[in-house]
Amino acid sequence: MNSESNRIPIHEGFWTTPASEDEPPQLIGSHCESCGESFFPKKEKGWCTYCRQKTLKDVRLSRRGKIASFSVVMQQPGGGFYKGPVPYAYGAVELPEGIYVTTLFKTDDFDELELHRDVELVIDKLCEDEEGRDIVTFKFMPV
Amino acid sequence: MKDMSEMREVLVAGFGLTQWGYYPDRECYDFGSEAILIALEDSGFTWNDVQAAFCGSVYQGTGSGHQAVKEVGLTGIPVVNVENACSSGSSAFRLACQSVAAELYDTVLVLGMEKMPRGPIPSTAFRPWELASGFNVQMANYANETVVYMEETGATVEDFARVTVKNRKNGVHNPHARFQKEVTMEEVLNSRMVATPLRLFHCCPLADGAAAAIVCSRDKIRSAQRAVTVKACSLTSGVYGEHSIMAGISKSRNHPPALGIVELSAKQAFETSGYGPEDMDVVQAYDTMAPAELWDIEKLGFCKKGEAPRLLKEGAFDIGGRIPVNTDGGLMSRGHPLGATGLGQICELVCQLRGEAGKRQVAGARIALAHAMGAGPNSSVTILKAR
Repeated sequence: MNSESNRIPIHEGFWTTPASEDEPPQLIGSHCESCGESFFPKKEKGWCTYCRQKTLKDVRLSRRGKIASFSVVMQQPGGGFYKGPVPYAYGAVELPEGIYVTTLFKTDDFDELELHRDVELVIDKLCEDEEGRDIVTFKFMPV
Repeated sequence: MKDMSEMREVLVAGFGLTQWGYYPDRECYDFGSEAILIALEDSGFTWNDVQAAFCGSVYQGTGSGHQAVKEVGLTGIPVVNVENACSSGSSAFRLACQSVAAELYDTVLVLGMEKMPRGPIPSTAFRPWELASGFNVQMANYANETVVYMEETGATVEDFARVTVKNRKNGVHNPHARFQKEVTMEEVLNSRMVATPLRLFHCCPLADGAAAAIVCSRDKIRSAQRAVTVKACSLTSGVYGEHSIMAGISKSRNHPPALGIVELSAKQAFETSGYGPEDMDVVQAYDTMAPAELWDIEKLGFCKKGEAPRLLKEGAFDIGGRIPVNTDGGLMSRGHPLGATGLGQICELVCQLRGEAGKRQVAGARIALAHAMGAGPNSSVTILKAR
C-alpha cells in the first residue's frame, strides 16, 4: 500500500483521515445552525446560501446514501481535465441529511448501478499525477 | 423595476443565418460578418443605421464580436460581447431588445456566432476538482436527468429516439441546417452509447455558424409586412434547491424551489406577453439532448409532466400538429454553435411568423416561443408575434 505522502487528495479537506484503519473516513460538509440545511463540499466562508446567514459549522456527513441518478460515461470528456479511466460512472447520491452529493461511483460492474440502491463512501484512486503518485478522491460504492 | 410590456415596443426588422456546418478553414468572424450582412439586407437597413451591437459567443476569446463588426464597418458604435453559455445568443438578443425598449437606441444589431472546439463540449463551468473528476460531460449530466425522468414518467429510450427522428425530418427542409437528412429509429437506437442510457443520435451535433438579427423601434421599421414584434424575453439563472448537475448545483430535499428555472422563465415571459402556452403556434424547444425536448415542453407548460412522450407519438409536435416543435430541425439538425444557437432559434420563429418558411411553414403562425438553456445554469424564453 502507498504511504499517505504518495496519495494526493483531489482537494484538501473534503474528507476526514482517521488515524486508525478501523475508523472509516467521512465527508466533511457544512451544517447551518439557523435553518438546518447541509452542504457538501463545505462552504469555506461559513455562509449559508439558503438562509444567507453566516451560521455554518463543519460537520461529518453520513457515510451511506442512495443513488439518486447516474450515468456511465463511454467516451473521454472534453478539455483534458479528467485523467481517470474510461468508461467511468458518476451521478448523485442522496444522503440522509437531505442533500445530494455529485460523485464518482466505484464498481467492477456498471450493471450494479441502479436508482435508490444503497451506496457507501470510499476513498479511491482517480488517476496518477506526472510523478506517478496516486490522486485519490471520494467515491460511492454499491453495498 | 419595469416590465418590458410597459416600455417602448421592439420589433425584429430582419435576420441573417449562415449555413451551419463544419468549417475547419473559416473563423467565427467570417461567419459572424456574413450573418450581419444578410441581416442588414433582410431588414432594409444600412450599417450606418445600427447604433449598438450585442454579440453572443462562448469559446471565441476576447473581443470576438469586434472582430466580426470590423469586417462590416468601423463606425465607433458600442460593441458588447455576451458570454452566457448556450443562452449567449438569446441573452444578447434580450439585451438588444431592452436597450431599444428603454429608448437608449432605435436600431441595434444582435449577433451569435461560434466556431466550435472539436470533440465533446469542454465545458469549464465547473470547479477544478469537478473538472478533474470528469463531471463536465454534458451528455452524462443530461443522462443523469434522463434516468430520473424515465423513472418518474415511464418515458423510454425509444421515446427519445422519436424526438431525433422528428427533428431530423424537419431539418430536411432547412437549408441552413448542418444535417438535412432523415434518420430512422433503428439508426438512433443502434448508434454508439455515449453516456448511458443516451446514444450518439440522442445528442445534438456541434456546428460552426452564426445568426444575426436587427431589432428596432416601430417607427424605424422598413417593411411593416415582414416585421415581427418582441412580446417578451426572459432570462433566469439558478434557483436554490433545484438540481442542476450540468452546472454543478445539487438538489436540496429540505428546501426545494417553488419553481425551477425553466418554469420561472416561462412564467415571466407569459406574464409580460399576456399570452399563455395555448396561444403559441410554433415552439423552439431546447433539444441539445433528445429527452430534454420532452421535459422542456412539459416545463414550459404545453402539457403535464410525463405527457410529452405520448403527444410526440401522436404527432402533436409535428409540423401540422397541435404544437409544432423545432420546425427547423432543432439543434438535432441545425447543429449547436453555442453562441449562435439561442439566436438561431429566434431567427426560425421570425421566418415562421413572416410566413417565409417554405416546406416547413406552419400555416397561419402568429405567435411563437423559443427556449434555450445554458450552463450556469441559464434559461431564456423569447415570445414573438407576427407584425
